Amino acid sequence: MTILLDVANILLPLFYLGAAISYGFVFFASHPVANRVTMPALRATVVLHLAMLVALAVHHGQFPAATVSQALSIVAFAVAVVYVFVEWHGRERSTGFWMVSLVFFFQLLASLFSRPNPPDREIFHDPFFGLHVSLALLGYAAFVVAAGYAFLFLQLYRDLKTGRFSMFYGKLPPLEVLERMMIGALSVGFITLTGAVISGAVWAERLYEGAWMHDPKILVTFATWALYAVALTLRRLRRWKGRQTALASLAGLGAILFSLMAVNFFFTDFHGFL
Amino acid sequence: MPPRPSNPAQEPSLILVGTDYRCSPIEVREKVAYHGTESEDLLIHLLARPGIEEAFLLSTCNRTEVYIRPRDEDEAYKAAVELTFLRRVPEMEKPGRLYVKRNGEAARHLLGVASGLESMVLGEPEILGQIKQSAALAETVGASGPTVRRLLRSAGIAGARSRQETAISAGAVSLGYAVVELSRNIFSGLENCRVLILGAGEIARSVARPLVERGACEIKVANRSAERAKKFQEEFPQAVLIPFEERLSAVREAEVVVASTGAEEPILTRKQLKEAMKARPTSPLLVVDLGVPRNVEPAAGKIENLFLHTVDSMELLIQRNLRKRKEEVPRVQEIIEEELTQFRIWYRNLEAEPVVAQIQKQAEKIRQQEIAAVLDRFPADTHPDLVRLTRSLVRKILHHPSTQIRGSRGSRGQTDPSGSHDSSRLHLVRELFRLDDEDNG
Repeated sequence: MTILLDVANILLPLFYLGAAISYGFVFFASHPVANRVTMPALRATVVLHLAMLVALAVHHGQFPAATVSQALSIVAFAVAVVYVFVEWHGRERSTGFWMVSLVFFFQLLASLFSRPNPPDREIFHDPFFGLHVSLALLGYAAFVVAAGYAFLFLQLYRDLKTGRFSMFYGKLPPLEVLERMMIGALSVGFITLTGAVISGAVWAERLYEGAWMHDPKILVTFATWALYAVALTLRRLRRWKGRQTALASLAGLGAILFSLMAVNFFFTDFHGFL
Repeated sequence: MPPRPSNPAQEPSLILVGTDYRCSPIEVREKVAYHGTESEDLLIHLLARPGIEEAFLLSTCNRTEVYIRPRDEDEAYKAAVELTFLRRVPEMEKPGRLYVKRNGEAARHLLGVASGLESMVLGEPEILGQIKQSAALAETVGASGPTVRRLLRSAGIAGARSRQETAISAGAVSLGYAVVELSRNIFSGLENCRVLILGAGEIARSVARPLVERGACEIKVANRSAERAKKFQEEFPQAVLIPFEERLSAVREAEVVVASTGAEEPILTRKQLKEAMKARPTSPLLVVDLGVPRNVEPAAGKIENLFLHTVDSMELLIQRNLRKRKEEVPRVQEIIEEELTQFRIWYRNLEAEPVVAQIQKQAEKIRQQEIAAVLDRFPADTHPDLVRLTRSLVRKILHHPSTQIRGSRGSRGQTDPSGSHDSSRLHLVRELFRLDDEDNG
């Protein structure tokens, strides 16, 4: 089983890279062969990814989010599933290259930082752990998707504003659609991250009685949550337009990566699992 | 221009004589353009000539072309030139006015026309419909036979594939469609867009036309001269006329504003547009300023969520799209070559089919003679089996040679499309099977 998991760990980023390249041919060259093979290739990779996560859970007997690597892999998986749904539902594959590239990036990080034996702490078997971590990772995945759409929104916005018409122009969904998808993903992410913060706070209070509040991981997560809260509130109040919301979304992704990577590796032991 | 005497490569036998926007100015083209019954009459006259077996006429505002499947090349060529062109414009004899293409080149040209490569606006889509209409007319008159019919089918496939598999028709290349394209890149659907047009002149009308065609949900027009505005409404009855002074309130409700007045001063200032944007906090506004001097204060382009485009940026967009279309030409040419190969294979099969039929007939004759000579020596109840056996033997022996003579039908691009060895191969087959003796005897 360990060998199989190791092989899958190497193959997954390669397969996502292959799918991203194939989507690149669709985006940049409208290649007819790429048009046919992209979706089946991505679906097959997502199925392999799901099988690997299930195998990890069975092999270690715990929810596969005990390490940063496993958490990043779940985020990559969730983003891939969301994109597969969006493409299937909207018959729209022009954003595929960018979304699948994000998936590849997250899975590459996951594979690079993977450890053969994840820690086996008592809390990993607590049902609250599964709830808290699932909500947090779902939220992160939604914010990654939002950042993908935000990036594309800003490219098209700049093209339309300056009249310089780069490679993005004419290949993406309209600005309004990109904005709607970005806001939708932000809303889903915010709701689930709020759930993760509340469930985490209740759980941590029960286990550590207030000693958790000054942990860098918690502070960065609160800051990230607050950033998204401000962005969505200003948007709701119609103070912010699409461009400002998109910039906030990209800043939010930066905060998430900082929270997942730097904080976990260098600043915290308490929240070391992700 | 004398016709070429022979067709050594056994190419499809075709002659094309035509003129287009590159050879003839509009004053000449309009004289050799054929409409309705004129086209029918011409086709009937062409078919009446003994040298012409099949004919097809394509007459649009940019080209008049006649495609002939000749019985006699010299006579067919002369008739095509005389009846189609010289009868109407004797000066068409001048060098450079007409182009003549033959055989594979003529077929390639039609496939190129159908794919939009020969159009004045590269990749324009209307030509495919015009070819279909002309094909229907040729069919009705009885001018198209198997060769022309198959050629038109190849042209239709090449045209459709070029537009589906490449971006030869993608992107707007006219001012009106460029406004449609910009709107589609901003808003989720043109059917949700309310359009305000300031001005009612020729440019305003040329922009309004595609917006109406593509389903803009509301068109409001504001013009200083009521008379011109009414003229606009006559052409576009769905347009709502509003007083010019009410333009600012209309801007607040519109998604797309097109300004093309002759005003010397801006009719929409930055301050006015900023106020208008406050009334629509999150929804974007596309403003296309086609006026010279400009109708919209340039500083308005800095307003958040307002996309201001001028004649210059629209020209940039059109040039970009044309460049993109040009980049697609090699891919379209590949499609044309693929379809041309299919047409050539079909044509070669057409030539080979009588030879195959003759061989089969000869073999069947021999089989019948031989079986008749020996049948009495066998019991009567075995006769059906003997007949079946001999038929099966003949069929199996001839299967491979027949397939080879026909070429690999249906296997795209696998046979030599030039057909250069076909005539010698058919000649050899005739000799091998003594078919010419058979013909004579």
